[in-house]
Amino acid sequence: MNIHFKTAFDYIKRAPFQALSAISVLTLTFFVSTMVAVLAYSSGNLLKYFETRPQVIAFLKNEVTPQDVSALQNKLTADERVKEVRYVSKEEALNIYKEATSDNPLLSELVSPSIFPASLEFSLANLSYAEDIIAQVKKESIVDQVGFTASLGGESTLQDVVSRLKTITLYVRIGGMVLVGMLGAVSFLVLIVIIGMRMATRKGEIEILDLIGATPKFIRSPIVIEALIYSFAGVLLGWAISFLFWLYVTPNIVAYFGEIPVLPKGTWDFLILLVIILGAELLIGSLLALLGSMLAVSRAKRTR
Amino acid sequence: MIQFKKVSKSFGTIKALEEVSFEVGKGEFVYITGPSGAGKTTLLKLILREYQPDSGEIVLEGVDITKLSDEQIPEYRQKIGVVFQDFKVLPERTVRENVEVSLAVIGVAQEAWSARVGQVLKLVGLAERADLFPNQLSGGEIQRVSLARALVVNPKIILADEPTGNLDWETADSMMELFEKINKEGKTIIMATHNKVIVDKFKKRVIKLKGGKNVGKEKVHELEKEPKKEENEKGEGKMKVKVEEV
Repeated sequence: MNIHFKTAFDYIKRAPFQALSAISVLTLTFFVSTMVAVLAYSSGNLLKYFETRPQVIAFLKNEVTPQDVSALQNKLTADERVKEVRYVSKEEALNIYKEATSDNPLLSELVSPSIFPASLEFSLANLSYAEDIIAQVKKESIVDQVGFTASLGGESTLQDVVSRLKTITLYVRIGGMVLVGMLGAVSFLVLIVIIGMRMATRKGEIEILDLIGATPKFIRSPIVIEALIYSFAGVLLGWAISFLFWLYVTPNIVAYFGEIPVLPKGTWDFLILLVIILGAELLIGSLLALLGSMLAVSRAKRTR
Repeated sequence: MIQFKKVSKSFGTIKALEEVSFEVGKGEFVYITGPSGAGKTTLLKLILREYQPDSGEIVLEGVDITKLSDEQIPEYRQKIGVVFQDFKVLPERTVRENVEVSLAVIGVAQEAWSARVGQVLKLVGLAERADLFPNQLSGGEIQRVSLARALVVNPKIILADEPTGNLDWETADSMMELFEKINKEGKTIIMATHNKVIVDKFKKRVIKLKGGKNVGKEKVHELEKEPKKEENEKGEGKMKVKVEEV
């Protein structure tokens, strides 16, 4: 084993409780970080789902040509106030109807695609534009009627839902960042204190190494490796506990939210999300360890 | 090999060395002698660049080491083997590991450690103690660990600061025999000591420091007698170069 790794492991073995306290704090930090990261992802997805629901549906006349539809779709897409323009054909409209009445097949058997009008569905960058846009679309010659879903349902309109979700998402993100920031700062301080204690107990050894020609990098290496071991152990443990938690609750969450993709539905996609979080945490953990150990070493040098 | 040219060093108002000049040739074995506080350790620390002189030059193989930058010092120290009076071994490492550390410091590949460490431990007579910790060894054995650590890097010069200071006579004798053996193999040795018996028994060139700052550059092997009481009282920190030729 490399001499620096051996030295670092020796230090850990000699003071296991210091190591345990550093790893515990880091584990807590990265457990909370993983939880917050998944929650931020889910709330973002929830918000995106509702934001991209069609808020305005322009039902088209029966005699429209594909060129006319394409022209209007392009016009709407070019409008900055409009988002996510989607053409729904008569056949697609029938399918939507069939899905909605799947519990009563008789209803869908009696209808044909010709009954349903084709439509252009779109959402708005801001619901305050709704009145203008609807008035404008109504004037189009190929448009028969215009439906505005956001105005349906009184107080629990889509606008209300989106607005509430935005607030919740904001709280989750800001609250999460503050919590993770505070825990990160505590972890950083604990690392500095423990590495500082290590430097103090190694004072004699450092002096000897210095006298026999060890470079500052040589003297620093076991200290940095030790801090990295604490960080990686904390990241892996915190992430693993969080992973088990999500593994346990995901089926219930997916079932509860139904078609709303708050979490990736595929196991593989969910694993990729968690591996990305792990990668980011390992990076942050490394930075935390490097900064903490460098700071402790430079403080020890100043006090020598 | 090493030249001191009018080297002075003070600590506040205390003049530890003043205009000290001498030269040590390659392969020489030289004693730095003098009573406690004479400046022997300061002189060795100047060679090791633990201290920077206030004035003067210290030239090792043509390089004025007083002009080395902080970044160059570790590389410079790697060429020097040091044996300390208080041993300075790493207490939580075995004999073998203490010696291996020196090889790690100079960047020798790990595969080569075993052979080199084995060889040097055999030389100092600690081959069978390789896996023991310093607290399981006698004082003489610990000093041999210190010597083995200094030797394993094949240094150009060995500095020994009172290496027999903490040892009994018998052990000190065997340590000195070891130093002689190493010197005969071509290593330059500069040894600080105030042990008259050692200096008389193992006759080498002596550089005397008196009252803290006194240099001789001629071949001598007798320690100057302790300064008289009146001389000390009148001396007021003045130091003169005292050279004796025998």
